[in-house]
This record gives sequence, structure tokens and C-alpha cells, in this order.
Amino acid sequence: MTAAEHRPALPDGLRDRVLAASLRARAAGRPEPAAPEISPAEAFSRAADAFYGMLGVLQAEDWRRPALRCLDVQGLVGHLIGVEEDVHRGLAGDPQVAQASHVESTQPAADCQAGRPPAETRAEWRRTIGHTLDLVHAVGDPGTEAAVHGMRFPLGMLLVVRAFELWVHDNDIRQAVGLPPAVPDPSALGLMTQAAAQLLPHAAARRGLREPTSVHLVLTGPGGGTWDIPIGHSPPAPAEVAIVTDAVGFCRLVADRTTPGRLDLHITGDQDRAAMILAAASALALD
Amino acid sequence: MKEAGARHVFPDGWPGIGLVGVGPCLVAGGRASVHEVGGTDALLAARLAAGDDHALAEVFDRLAPAVYSGALRVLGHDAAAQDVVQDVFVELWCHPGRYDPDAGPLRAYLTMQARHRAVDLVRSELRRVARQERSSRLEPGHPDPSPCEQMMASQTAAAVRAAIEMLPESQRRIVELAYFRGLTCREAAKAAGIPEGTAKSRLRLALAKLESMLDRQLLESS
Repeated sequence: MTAAEHRPALPDGLRDRVLAASLRARAAGRPEPAAPEISPAEAFSRAADAFYGMLGVLQAEDWRRPALRCLDVQGLVGHLIGVEEDVHRGLAGDPQVAQASHVESTQPAADCQAGRPPAETRAEWRRTIGHTLDLVHAVGDPGTEAAVHGMRFPLGMLLVVRAFELWVHDNDIRQAVGLPPAVPDPSALGLMTQAAAQLLPHAAARRGLREPTSVHLVLTGPGGGTWDIPIGHSPPAPAEVAIVTDAVGFCRLVADRTTPGRLDLHITGDQDRAAMILAAASALALD
Repeated sequence: MKEAGARHVFPDGWPGIGLVGVGPCLVAGGRASVHEVGGTDALLAARLAAGDDHALAEVFDRLAPAVYSGALRVLGHDAAAQDVVQDVFVELWCHPGRYDPDAGPLRAYLTMQARHRAVDLVRSELRRVARQERSSRLEPGHPDPSPCEQMMASQTAAAVRAAIEMLPESQRRIVELAYFRGLTCREAAKAAGIPEGTAKSRLRLALAKLESMLDRQLLESS
């Protein structure tokens, strides 16, 4: 007889009682320890500060290194200058920038950096960031919608998406020049993972995933959390998939900077369905 | 579960993303443990830290029987053992970072937590019984406890008395003076005819032995 066979059965109702008491003490989904809450504007400001600091340590030759698409580092910073300028127009309600292509619309700003002293590019980018923050402050209400590059978001979500973009390009440049990758602080990363989880159904829809699925998404590590996300049209009993991976890796996946195969994933439920959802996660990446 | 966050809308037919009228897309967690993701204790700890209620249910299903039976063995009655199980799992859920996977298996951590809590309960019961005995001597008309209370008290008291009986005479004497006669350490020392420092030292040794004996019961059960 084994030790387990000696054990008395658990009393009826104990499981429900303990789980309910636990969830009353700490709601499901919330990471522990919880990172201090910050505003989307603060997350954007921190990402900009980190990016500016990273540019400050680059050597002159680093600015010429290939970074993304056909852009060198300086061109990529120029691309971001163009993005900020389009955001300024978006905040002003310009309908043209609302429908503009993220890459094509910013290409002139990227091209015109060629031959400039890097310090000028860096300073110009910083000025555009400052102007963005001034406009955000002037708008005030984080629920105010703004449309740019095919996205229409409340201002708060737009700033989180922009912080996400700055972090991703920060790492593009770091990779190009051989610097170690950066990770946002848990407060900022928490806003990014929240945005990534919120956008997952839309990414799946964009890739044509219509089959109803309930995704239990667990992002581990600082800035992580847990979400139950319905994907597709929801009948009474959709298929269920649980996906566990680390928060930073998932954000890199959403940004199209890694693939599902390179993540440390733990999946239960329909493996094929999970694979399709993970493959679709990057569908909203703008590059 | 995290809130849905701000509503966001992607106008249909736009270049870029092109989604329509998206409402809040996140829902409350629902009941736990539909699937077992499993994995190492480190992964379970990371999932608990991420607020994964499925992980909590998995840990409960896997380890609650050991935690419960251990607590039951020490405490001797079901209601108190259930309380220990609840305390242990609520603590794990609220402070998952206190478990260090590098320090040992989750099973050992939880049974250790249960042992500490059970022993604390026994200690507090010991103090309560001693207070009650003193009180009943002073107030003979004290109302009788219910049959259930009598049974719980008698089971706990039997376990504690058995442990006390195993103490060396000198230590047992100090425990009886301090806990059952309600004397201060100085008074107990005087009654036993020993210096106060010696009395304190014997009391510390006695309590450590009592804890160890009660711990052993739990270890044997788990």
C-alpha cells in the first residue's frame, strides 16, 4: 500500500472553498508582485528616454549599420521622426494620415537623414517626441480617439502602442550595433502585455481565424499576467487553449521579432489551434 | 482578472489593420483547471505569480491531499485541518514569490507551511486550554462547551499532553507551572526552586522539543 493510499480523501467542498478564498484574496490575472501603475504617457516617455539614451552611446560608424528593411540606424531614427510627425497630424485629426501606410508615409523622413550628422538626427527625433508629449498633454483625455497609419485608438492605447514601437526599434538598433537587448521596466511592460493581449483577437481575425476559441493566455515574468481571451465567433462552448510563455518573448512575437518556434511555450488544448493563434499574433505588427 | 481596458476601434476597410467596432475583448477568468499545463515547480511558480488560476487549481489537485492529511494528523480534527489547507493555499496564491523553486520542491514547501501552521494552532490551543483551566478554577459556574467543542478540545489536548509526557521531568515541571498554573517565568522559577534564567532556558528547550515532536507527527503523515 502506498503512502497516498493511507491519506484520507479531501472533504467535500474543500477544493471550491479554498479556491474561492484564494481568488477573493487576490483576483485571477493580476501579477504578483504587482508593478507600480503608470500612465500610458509615462510609459511612452520612459520608452523615449531609453531610446534617446541608447542613441547617445552609439559611435559614429554605428549610425551607418543596417538596422531594418533597407534602413541603416540613422534611417530608422528618421523613420521614427516620420512616425512622430504623422502622430502629430493624427492628433490634429488629419484624415490623410489616418489612412497612410506606416512605412511609405515615413520613408521621406528616413531618406532625408542620409548625410546628416547623427547628432542632428538624434536631436530632431527628440524634439518630435517632446512635441508629441506636448500635444498629448494638451489633449488631456486619454479616451480621445486618434487615427494614424490605419489604426484608430484611444489616446492611451495609442501611446502604449508607440511605447511598444520605440522599445522594438530600440532593440533593432541594439542588435544592429551589437548591444545587449533592453527590456522595459515591469510597469511599462505590463501596459504592453495588456495591449498585446487585447489585440490578439484582432490579429487572429486579420489572419482569418474564425473558429471560436477561448485562449487562456499566461505571460510569465515581470510585466506579465493572465487573460482569458475569446477568439472568433463565440458559441456556447468554444474550444479551449492554454498558452504559457514569458511576457517579453510574447511581446517580441507580437512585434514580429521572433517566431513561435523560438519561444519557450507550454500549451494545452488543441495544439494546431494554438499554433495558428501564435502564428497570427504578429499580424498587427507595423514594422 | 485584468480589466478589458479601453475600448478600441479599427475602421473596416482601412489599410493597415482594418477591423471593425471591437468591444472589450477580455472576460473574467471563469472556473479554473480545465487543462493541466503542468511543468516544473519553477514553471508553476511563474504561473502563480502571473495570476494563473488554472495553476492554482493544478497545485491544489496535486498537493492538497498531502497538506490536508498532514494537518489532520497533527491537529486531530477535520475542521482545523481544512483551515490549515485554506491558509496554506491562500498564502501561496497571494505571495507566490515566497516559494523559491531552487530551495526545494513545491510539495516540501507546502507541507512545511502546513506543519508550521498546525504547530502554531496546537500552541495556541495549548495556551487556550491552560487559560480555560485557570478560568474554570476561578469561575466554577462556567457554561459547558458543546459536544463538538469538547471533542476538538479533547483530541488536541490529548496530543499535547502526550507530547508533554515525553519531556524530561525538569522541563515538564516548568511547562506545567508556566502554562497550566499560569505562573510567570519568575514565579515558575521560584516555585521550582531554580534561577529564573534556568527556568527560561528549560522552557525554551521544552517548547522546541514539543514543536519537534509535533513536527515529526506531520512528517510521518506526509
